[in-house]
Amino acid sequence: MGGTDRTGRGHGREAGDRAAFLAPARRGLAGGIPANPVHPPPGPLGGAGVPRPRYRNLDPDDLVGTFARSVAEADGTCHVVEGDVPDDLLDRLVDELGGRKVVATAEPEAAGVARRLAARGATVEPFTVEAAARAALGVTGAAAAVAATGSIVLDSRRAGGRTASLLPPVHLCVVRATALHPTPADVLRRLGDGGGTLPPSLVVVTGPSRTGDIEQLLTLGAHGPTALHVVLVVG
Amino acid sequence: MSGHRLAGTTLRSRTAAAVADERLRANVARAVDRFASHRLRGLAELDDGHGGGPDALRRAARAVKADVLARLPELLERFADRVLDLGGHVCWAPTAADARRYVVDVVRSTGARRVAKSKSMATEEIDLNPALEAAGAEVVETDLGEWIVQLAGEAPSHIIAPALHKDRHQIRDLFVDAVAAPADLPTEPAELVAFARRRLRDVFLGADVGVTGANVAVASTGSIVLVTNEGNGRLVTALPRVHVVVLGMERLAADWDQAELLLALLARSATGQRLSSYTSVVTGPRGPGEVDGPEELHVVILDNGRSELLGGEHHEMLACIRCGACLNVCPVYRQTGGHAYGWVYPGPMGAVLTPLLAAGHPEAAEVADASTLCGACMDACPVQIPLQDLLLSLRRTKAERAGRAERAAWRTWSAAWSDPRRYAATTRAATWGRWAAPVARHLPVARRWASGRTVPRPAGERFRDRWRRGL
Repeated sequence: MGGTDRTGRGHGREAGDRAAFLAPARRGLAGGIPANPVHPPPGPLGGAGVPRPRYRNLDPDDLVGTFARSVAEADGTCHVVEGDVPDDLLDRLVDELGGRKVVATAEPEAAGVARRLAARGATVEPFTVEAAARAALGVTGAAAAVAATGSIVLDSRRAGGRTASLLPPVHLCVVRATALHPTPADVLRRLGDGGGTLPPSLVVVTGPSRTGDIEQLLTLGAHGPTALHVVLVVG
Repeated sequence: MSGHRLAGTTLRSRTAAAVADERLRANVARAVDRFASHRLRGLAELDDGHGGGPDALRRAARAVKADVLARLPELLERFADRVLDLGGHVCWAPTAADARRYVVDVVRSTGARRVAKSKSMATEEIDLNPALEAAGAEVVETDLGEWIVQLAGEAPSHIIAPALHKDRHQIRDLFVDAVAAPADLPTEPAELVAFARRRLRDVFLGADVGVTGANVAVASTGSIVLVTNEGNGRLVTALPRVHVVVLGMERLAADWDQAELLLALLARSATGQRLSSYTSVVTGPRGPGEVDGPEELHVVILDNGRSELLGGEHHEMLACIRCGACLNVCPVYRQTGGHAYGWVYPGPMGAVLTPLLAAGHPEAAEVADASTLCGACMDACPVQIPLQDLLLSLRRTKAERAGRAERAAWRTWSAAWSDPRRYAATTRAATWGRWAAPVARHLPVARRWASGRTVPRPAGERFRDRWRRGL
């Protein structure tokens, strides 16, 4: 207890008896593990380690095209643009606001869009939970994007929190093509490399919020955004 | 709400109630067909890079979980140390009661009035909700399906789609009765979802404590991975001041190489999606400069009977990643839905887990009978758990404990049919007694078996006699 680690957060408390908790598990494993005689287990993974899943829908020569298709297949809307977010998309989003507010994170990609939305007459508030709860549109950047699954990766340290992309019914995410990776493995398997701690929240977002809990029929916008616009900026 | 319906019921009584409900069977069949076809489409897209297809990855995932389980104590220590370093708190809970007590204490000490939960089978297993309610907290399930069964006072009937046994009309009526939805609320799924979204949004904003399970815990970074589609898992871990995770001790991955493979298979096996809408990685409490996220993070590591399985005959059951694929292909689950299994976990994985983890209930052992041993479950399992072998082993244990009369009957049969002459005598007796077949169904010993079946009538002449005559 007490003390401070490199993140500035104190050390946690431990309840219960660790050694006593682990003793039965250690005892159980001490005698070895019987192999199932009918369906014998495979041997341990060799030198190549855990195989990386290959995605048949991934075109390695066209990551941008694969990403755009995958976002659409996950019920999101992908806009591939050169340079910057196009005017007509911003006009449309401001129209849809109908006077309601916008929340934007301080990420560089989001801040530029926030200025241009404000110039169109939208009320843009800086990111707080209250602002996110009021807003009809949340604007964020992303730490990375994944072509094979059409995912964007949201980092709470980068965005200053979690809810700007979650509470408003529409989420606009701007990400540069330089942050686009082929598969989830290219993002997830690098987590923990480099020695630093991970952000407190990292979310791989694949399409808008959805539920199938009523008759397994797809319904968008369960608790999170009903619509997801991803703007992929190339060049 | 309690997951326990074992006490005072039998597999037979629960099954009879389920199969008599035509509406339930139609709802369940429709749902599992959708899940199963989506799974096949989703998995077909994966390969191991050597043309081995998804099966090669399933084989690798089995090896990954075998590795995790073989060094589970070491990985749990590493995981707990990382969580503590990050400023999270860790509770080692050998029993369900230990876990409940710790969570109730956390809720009490924060003065919490409202607890928001994201669907978690581990919390169902330890009956957490009644304990929190007894301590004066209001507990609200926020997964739509889980909220529906909570309002209905039922237990979940599927591990990833808790309310799949209900149709839109039943859900609309429930909303009107239980939470005063307007009587003219349409039965369109979109309208029902919008109603739930409005109701639950206030719950999220006003909750003091969020409780979740964990799909995977990664030892190398001390991270908890939560997979949801609705976004309730994100809200529960973003808005309340305190986040409590109830983690089954076996749900670990050593590192992100292992975790990534398991996650690639999890969503596709569950719903057929490439990834669920939200794969959340929680690593420690809120950081400096963040406007939301929990100030306190508690991870309760739960044993509750799991360590008993390590190194034993049912060791591999601990590899389960709770995707629900085995439920969706099971011919028994398809006819009964989840409630007939009587405890928290239904389907083939439940038929194995219930006798093992609910061993305190004398009624639990017979749940291993809720299977045809067809093996479809193992073919669907993303980590290739040999479910039918485990079910057979449980039945063997149960038979060894069966009553004296039953054992004597099987011994007599075994002795008779192990000898050719005695075997021939029994078949001759059957041809002589063939007139009795239509009456036999009314005998007390045969009545239950014969109901719904045609009792076969032995032939007038045995095959061996015709063979001897030259056919």
